[in-house]
Amino acid sequence: MNPMRPGKTILVQREVKPLDFLSAGETASEFKETLKSLGISADLCRKTSIVAYEAEMNAVIHGGGGEIILKLDEKSITIVAKDQGPGIENVNLAMQEGYSTAPDFVREMGFGAGMGLPNIKKYSDELNIETEPGKGTTLRALIFLDGSGGE
Amino acid sequence: MPHGIEISGEDCRGCVNCIKSCPTEAIRVINGKVRILEERCIGCGECLRICSHRAISLQETDWDSISGIRPMAVVMDPALFSQFPWPPNPAIMEEILRDMGFEPIVKECALAFDLAAMAQARIMEAGESREMPMISTYCPAVLRLVRMKFQELIPNLAPVESPLETSVDLWKARNNKSRVQTALVASCPARVAMVEDPVGREASSVDHVISTARLTREILSKNRSLGEGIVKRPRDTRWMNWSASGGEIAHIRHFTEKPLKALAVSGMRNIIGVLQDIELRRLKGVDFIEARACSMGCIGGIANAESCYLSQVKIDNYGNSEPPSAEETAPLEELYDAGIWKLQYDITPIESVPLGKNMARAMEKLNEIQSVYAELPHLDCGTCGRPTCRIMAEDIVRGEASLDDCIFRLREKIGRLSGEIHDLSRRLVHTMTPEEKK
Repeated sequence: MNPMRPGKTILVQREVKPLDFLSAGETASEFKETLKSLGISADLCRKTSIVAYEAEMNAVIHGGGGEIILKLDEKSITIVAKDQGPGIENVNLAMQEGYSTAPDFVREMGFGAGMGLPNIKKYSDELNIETEPGKGTTLRALIFLDGSGGE
Repeated sequence: MPHGIEISGEDCRGCVNCIKSCPTEAIRVINGKVRILEERCIGCGECLRICSHRAISLQETDWDSISGIRPMAVVMDPALFSQFPWPPNPAIMEEILRDMGFEPIVKECALAFDLAAMAQARIMEAGESREMPMISTYCPAVLRLVRMKFQELIPNLAPVESPLETSVDLWKARNNKSRVQTALVASCPARVAMVEDPVGREASSVDHVISTARLTREILSKNRSLGEGIVKRPRDTRWMNWSASGGEIAHIRHFTEKPLKALAVSGMRNIIGVLQDIELRRLKGVDFIEARACSMGCIGGIANAESCYLSQVKIDNYGNSEPPSAEETAPLEELYDAGIWKLQYDITPIESVPLGKNMARAMEKLNEIQSVYAELPHLDCGTCGRPTCRIMAEDIVRGEASLDDCIFRLREKIGRLSGEIHDLSRRLVHTMTPEEKK
């Protein structure tokens, strides 16, 4: 582990298993507890939880698994979700509320309502998605520590 | 002191069975004795359920010390009513307690519960700017869990005082008996904690706490017979039903025209699950959460005498929550306007102490904890007296434990040491056998 240096320090790194719907909640609360133990405000912890949960769910449902990482520096919290899934064909479309490509059985379980990316955008201050059809997706969401991003 | 819980060091065998039962990881077993960290305890009573040596118990007032005090007002958790081999009718208990020389608070309790239900209905009807769903604050363990672990949900908590407290205030004011001591009959440690460490008010209106089991035993052992002609009052069906899961919701529905989307959740695991879903904003469109730490509601409380299943059957047989009549509603308006149902102060978060004074220092600590954690077996076996390897790592970094307290680490160390001893034993002293020495 690196001590706190300027730049990004990895706080938690978790493997995401395909179709493991239970683990997303666990990771979200682990992220929250870790940030809380560092004295980060409840409001930012909640935003991180939501972003981490939705990002992990995307990797669980679409990405065929991957990994999710929580990083921190002096200015911001970063959530990175990487998968080797099919990629997102049309990012603009995927950002629309209610747009979903989740398979039926996933929707029957109550997931895949097309709110994942819109929610990540809503609760993060900066969002960057690198995706290539057939290669996978890397999502990077930033939440500013000074709260300058608003809700 | 932990919340409403007493520990008997003599009875604790150090078996560590309790440490995993705690939903907030508040229990340690150190030097063979259980210890509950007050700042993490929510008083849910799960550890009382699991301790087979009866080393953990409800902290209640000694019966003999209060049985002689008169006058003594008694306010009853509705779970008490279903503890007996007769119908769960508050009127019966009223008569029995009066027979025993107590002053039972029953009429005011019915009013206070009506008021709490009415207030919550009105808050939900009015509050478009409120954080939804609104979470009931009736269960003190849930209230404390939210203040401790789900602080972002504090705005969701109903700003309504426990009707058990309100009823005592009302009774004292109406009967001009502000100096009369009051005992609360409680079905769980969290109710004890509600009295010891009140939330949203200066001090509790209650002076003593007796467990439902203790009072039940007292009544049943005296073979008290049922009085003739005790009637069932509709108003009593409403607050009596709060002791079972769903009773509070049924009561609130009597006071609102709006179709209320409400969810009754009980049991610690379910409570944590539902709070997490609310936190992740996944419970959209739900207006109200009736949350009870004990499975099946307060009838599942650890301090009860009767089986919660039998209690449920008695409550079901007795009848549903009946809607209030116009005559019953009229006096409520005045009390509602007086605001006696409101919490006087805002609900405050219980802040956990961060790992370090500032973020950089806290990060260093976190790194230390992570590197110690990497050394541990990640089995969360509990043998070290901590619920998880993660907590063990924290305690080691804090200097409160050593790596040797981990039985797996110790075994490795012994293995290594015995290997060394074995190697040493092969080496003979060179002065004695110089020619064999290589």
